[in-house]
Amino acid sequence: MTTLPLDPLTRKKIHRFRSIKRGYYSAIFLAAAILLSFGAELFVNSRALIVRYEGRFHFPTYGSILPGTTFGLDYRYETKYRELKRKFKAEGRGNWVLLPPAPYNAYENDLTEGIYPPTAPDAGSGHWLGTDSTGRDVLARLVYGFRTAIVFSILLLLCNYTIGVTIGCAMGYFGGKFDLFFQRIIEIWANVPFLYIIIIVASIMIPNFFTLMMIMLFFGWIQMTWYMRTATYKQKSREYVLAARAMGASDPYIIFQHIIPNTISIIVTFMPFSISSGVVVLTSLDYLGFGLPAPTPSWGELLRQGTSNLDALWIVSSVVVSMILLLTMVTFVGEAVREAFDPKKHTVYE
Amino acid sequence: MSGNLLEVKAVRMHFPIHGGVLFRRIATVYAVDGVSFNVKPGETVGVVGESGCGKSTLGKTILRLYDPTGGEVLFEGKDLAKMGRRELREVRKDIQIIFQDPYESLNQTHTVGRIIQEPFVIHGVGTKEWRREEAKKLLKRVGLPESAFDRFPHEFSGGQRQRIGIARSIALKPKLVICDEPVSALDVSIQSQVLNLLLDLQREMGMAYIFIAHDLAVVKHVSDRIAVMYLGKIVEFAAAEDLYKAPRHPYTQALISAIPVPDPTRDLSTKQVLEGDVPSPRNPPSGCSFRTRCRFATERCAKEEPTLADAPNASKGHLVACHYADRLDEALKERAKT
Ligand SMILES: Nc1ncnc2c1ncn2[C@@H]1O[C@H](COP(=O)(O)OP(=O)(O)OP(=O)(O)O)[C@@H](O)[C@H]1O
Ligand code: SF4
Ligand SMILES: [Mg+2]
Repeated sequence: MTTLPLDPLTRKKIHRFRSIKRGYYSAIFLAAAILLSFGAELFVNSRALIVRYEGRFHFPTYGSILPGTTFGLDYRYETKYRELKRKFKAEGRGNWVLLPPAPYNAYENDLTEGIYPPTAPDAGSGHWLGTDSTGRDVLARLVYGFRTAIVFSILLLLCNYTIGVTIGCAMGYFGGKFDLFFQRIIEIWANVPFLYIIIIVASIMIPNFFTLMMIMLFFGWIQMTWYMRTATYKQKSREYVLAARAMGASDPYIIFQHIIPNTISIIVTFMPFSISSGVVVLTSLDYLGFGLPAPTPSWGELLRQGTSNLDALWIVSSVVVSMILLLTMVTFVGEAVREAFDPKKHTVYE
Repeated sequence: MSGNLLEVKAVRMHFPIHGGVLFRRIATVYAVDGVSFNVKPGETVGVVGESGCGKSTLGKTILRLYDPTGGEVLFEGKDLAKMGRRELREVRKDIQIIFQDPYESLNQTHTVGRIIQEPFVIHGVGTKEWRREEAKKLLKRVGLPESAFDRFPHEFSGGQRQRIGIARSIALKPKLVICDEPVSALDVSIQSQVLNLLLDLQREMGMAYIFIAHDLAVVKHVSDRIAVMYLGKIVEFAAAEDLYKAPRHPYTQALISAIPVPDPTRDLSTKQVLEGDVPSPRNPPSGCSFRTRCRFATERCAKEEPTLADAPNASKGHLVACHYADRLDEALKERAKT
């Protein structure tokens, strides 16, 4: 056995998913966007991609900073590549600089004397979507904000699901006191107002990426736990599980060989929705100012700036359009997955 | 030891029904309520009864898929209900089950090969190659092509799937197989093929069967002895021949007379029709549980519960639970009086 044969039901589900075009293409597009965002430094960055100086090539994108002196400048802090490019061009000595298409990072304030940010989109300066009220590039903040939000959501999902699947499975499988105990815990948990807790925590300390994730995890595990409990409970009483028990299979064997493979479609079905809710929660917290600490690029922060600077329409429209695009596509994927994986559509008794 | 492979002694399986805010027990389902019988090595004991009378529960309780509320299940003299994990695991090599619904009893995400090898994997029997070879032999033995090995259960018809289930259950050469309505989900044309397969396997391997069915006609074919169940209890237990020729319990009589047989010699005057519904096992009638549908029922039947005992003037080992087993006409007279 070289390849693990996928059972025809799973193959059918995947086939169905691919046949739902808008979900399928949205999935491809989103996957591409996420992958590209991991290499965002190559597209949106104040560091040059390639510098040719005195016959040698430099690749400053990744790695430690190259001080100005590297390129014969008179300062020891990081080279300003946009200036360097202009300088080399003026000199015309065969040195050159290749900048990314958007030559700004998410943190720098691009301030010119006499011009007050925000500035409108302008291809000439490389601010494709203009700058925000402190002169930071909107595109840069959008792209890095996207990456932060997606990474946050995916990590949150992994943690939530790990806890949810473990506890939910155990509740459904072992039942009894264990199940009752967690049921009560979940009932209490579910009634704790999640937003208040975050607001309280955020007013005591400034949350960072991980504390924020911990807080959300604290509440987020419930949903998957509950679904897994129900799903496991259903699978457990099915005859194929009874058959395994009658053969003398151990509980871990039954859980990992039988129950989890048969509940995987539930897990998969919820993934897109978990991702989108992760993005939405993070964005709203940032919008309210209870999210990631200040200079971190984030959509919520952009949205807040945009709504308070409505004359600088490019800010609010960039982030709103991105948000709508992202959420719509995630919803399309979610819909398609649900449609394709819906067990009710697949139980065929011929 | 008494020469019995399995002895079921006064086994009870009561399911609590919980409800309300405090999750208290609000009712009890008396699914199996004091069942005793035994199985000798290599024989087939049939269990018949209407839907819901507790046949499957009995089977599952014997296997200890449920922990019995009471009673003993002795397998080769040892009580299954008292066994520890490890001991139980060993015994499970010797007792297997075949379920009614071959769609449900096979994990759809596993290949047929994996399903059949599962008993070996669970008990760590043999090497990888040996398991594969053995699984292929088993496939062939139950009449499936070797090519089935890498395919998935729902690429097969109901009868073929049941063969897969049978192959899995005989893999470890068990001493007892509980067949829980193994053919009732199948087309009539396929039923007899599967039944014959089961009989052939029994002849070859010498295992005992507990053969559960709701249809007396099927059971009678394959069984040496038959237990008739009603509302969680055995009401009559006899050799197949005796039970069929001389049923003593009114319920058995009704079941037999319901079998459509073109037998001109049979006395049509004894034809009985079962009327009414089976009472709920949550709330069984007092006295004889059959009395709500018994045309012989008297006052005594409502007060006193009949015990399963040797039927008077019958062959040895013919047990029946009826106050009037031998004198039903008396019961009729008594009824007429009141
Ligand atoms: N796990 C359970 N919890 C509560 N009640 C149960 C449970 N399993 C079975 N019962 C009840 O016990 C009774 C007997 O069920 P069982 O499945 O043993 O009947 P059966 O004779 O096998 O019927 P069928 O011919 O329909 O398979 C039924 O009333 C059923 O509702
Ligand atoms: S004991 Fe009475 S009610 Fe029960 S079967 Fe016999 S005659 Fe009928
Ligand atoms: Mg049943």
